[in-house]
Amino acid sequence: MDHQFISRANLPSLLSDLQEAYSVILPVRKGESRFYEPLTSFQADRQTGKEEPQSPSENNYVIGEVRASEPLKAFFFQPKQRVAENYQDATPARAGKPLCIVGVKACDLKGFKVLDTVFIGPDYEDPFYKKAREENLIISADCTSVLDVCFCLSLDLNPYPQDNFDINLSDIGEGYVVQPGSDKGERLLERFSDYFREASSAQIKTRDQQRASVTEQVRKNIQANGVPVQDRLAGVVRENYEHPLWKEEAETCVECGACNTICPTCHCFLLLDQLDNRDLVRYRLWDSCLIKDFAEVAGGANPRPQLWMRLRNRFEKKFDFFPKVNNMYACTGCGRCILACPGKIDIRNVLKRNVENVRK
Amino acid sequence: MYESSNPYRPIRTEVLETIEETPTIRTLKLKPDERISFETGQFIELTVPGAGEAPFTPSSEPSVQEALEVSVMRVGKVTERIHALKAGDTVGLRGPFGSGYPLDEFLGKELLVVGGGCGFAPLRSLMYELFRRSREFKKLLFRGGCRTPKDFLYRRQIEGWANRDDLDIELTVDEGDGDWRGNVGVVTTILDGLKMDPDTGVAVVCGPPVMMKFATMKLLDLGFKKSNLYLSMEKNMSCGFGKCGHCRIGTYYTCKDGPVFRYDKISDYPNIWD
Repeated sequence: MDHQFISRANLPSLLSDLQEAYSVILPVRKGESRFYEPLTSFQADRQTGKEEPQSPSENNYVIGEVRASEPLKAFFFQPKQRVAENYQDATPARAGKPLCIVGVKACDLKGFKVLDTVFIGPDYEDPFYKKAREENLIISADCTSVLDVCFCLSLDLNPYPQDNFDINLSDIGEGYVVQPGSDKGERLLERFSDYFREASSAQIKTRDQQRASVTEQVRKNIQANGVPVQDRLAGVVRENYEHPLWKEEAETCVECGACNTICPTCHCFLLLDQLDNRDLVRYRLWDSCLIKDFAEVAGGANPRPQLWMRLRNRFEKKFDFFPKVNNMYACTGCGRCILACPGKIDIRNVLKRNVENVRK
Repeated sequence: MYESSNPYRPIRTEVLETIEETPTIRTLKLKPDERISFETGQFIELTVPGAGEAPFTPSSEPSVQEALEVSVMRVGKVTERIHALKAGDTVGLRGPFGSGYPLDEFLGKELLVVGGGCGFAPLRSLMYELFRRSREFKKLLFRGGCRTPKDFLYRRQIEGWANRDDLDIELTVDEGDGDWRGNVGVVTTILDGLKMDPDTGVAVVCGPPVMMKFATMKLLDLGFKKSNLYLSMEKNMSCGFGKCGHCRIGTYYTCKDGPVFRYDKISDYPNIWD
């Protein structure tokens, strides 16, 4: 299907129509950041006339700009998921409609690539993640601005979606250039064709110029911070395995695990059993490899007793395990861990040090 | 391969019997509501309702599908609760997971089994299978050690193996007592003078990490090839199917790619014994 166009006025109507089948989630601007919030109704919001609504309103939702503060994974690999009840084979059902998540950026879509290799096949599947991937609708969007911490180009990504979306929106001011990315997306464009018209070549040109301009901003960002490109990361963590850089970088780590929870690709979890009114209930909870007992066994042996070993492990997993096993780096350049870390540990700097030490 | 559509779900399982083996080890005979078949060396996750799960390698005969046995050392929260279980109690069971001993690769060869302490549990299951098929191997040898005679898991049974004509066996304890008439010393002290060719022979090692480390080093000194050593690695195996991330060794997950590893596959990774 060719490029389509949807006007600013038509987008809320489309999203309202999608509410019939989906719970629509939109990024909302709060201060300097963006957070995913469920859309109740554009109409209701208009009537109440609240000045600073916390839920999406026609004034505060964000299609373009940059990624939301929370990682997209939270909707697919939930922080706390009930995974088993008693001894029943059936998977505990999810309440409510599937989700339509709007304004998803390219960095979070790469998160899907990583998590898909973990949770879907080839041998075992996580039925909860798989179902969410099948049911949920992704309306992604180009980045129209850049954060200081953005470095997606280093990981061979562009600041606009190229795969793993159903429909992509490119905000060009007067409206959005629209591109389907899946059969599901194509069917939706057909079904709601009244809202769309074919994009003009001038509109597509505007989009392309904007993409080039944002890409250039990320490039400058990367140059300013000396972030290495991923081709130079091959093998560096193993080569620096015994280097003092890990101890030095871990000096300010407080073992909070924020880098893990905020990361769009971190997938580790623990299983927690509880008795709920005498019934056995099992939860799958996000876990963090920075926490001391992460790899400890029952007898007390711990392969990574020191905090710096666990920090090194995080980099080994992302930049050594994943490229060797799944042919991709488990980092998207979203920069969330840089902003989340109370110890100001900067992943860009750690990678830079790794590459520089190998070159010496 | 696990057949449930929900891999997190435990199968309801009845505790048929509990046996006190040593002051710290108990064996549980378990009957799952659904038949499960395991290959020797694979492991299961045992759930104590409300308390959590822990991984164990069955110590019983793989060919018996109606019930299976696990021998559990009391070392932590879950194992404490397992030791409190009685016949008739209900537990949960998931699995089997991982890859067990590749018996086909041992066929026609001289095979040495080295065990220590609670490592006798997985190895008993292996020995049942080796005895059943003993004619298919060129020679079977067993070298086992424990801390003291009191800690000797399956002592009577294993001492009884000395009467078999298809097995060359020697046992040792780190510290003897008045009754012990065998060798005293760590397990590496009974690895000298093996009547087998280390160049072509295969060795299986299972036991506490320190014992495995020193036994492996000793076997390499004796001339065994890295690619002929098979080790049972103990890591924090939680989900059992390579998703939760806790049991990674290098590019492997112990739960999925192990727990039995050929030594040359993991020998280059740092800290594997920790």
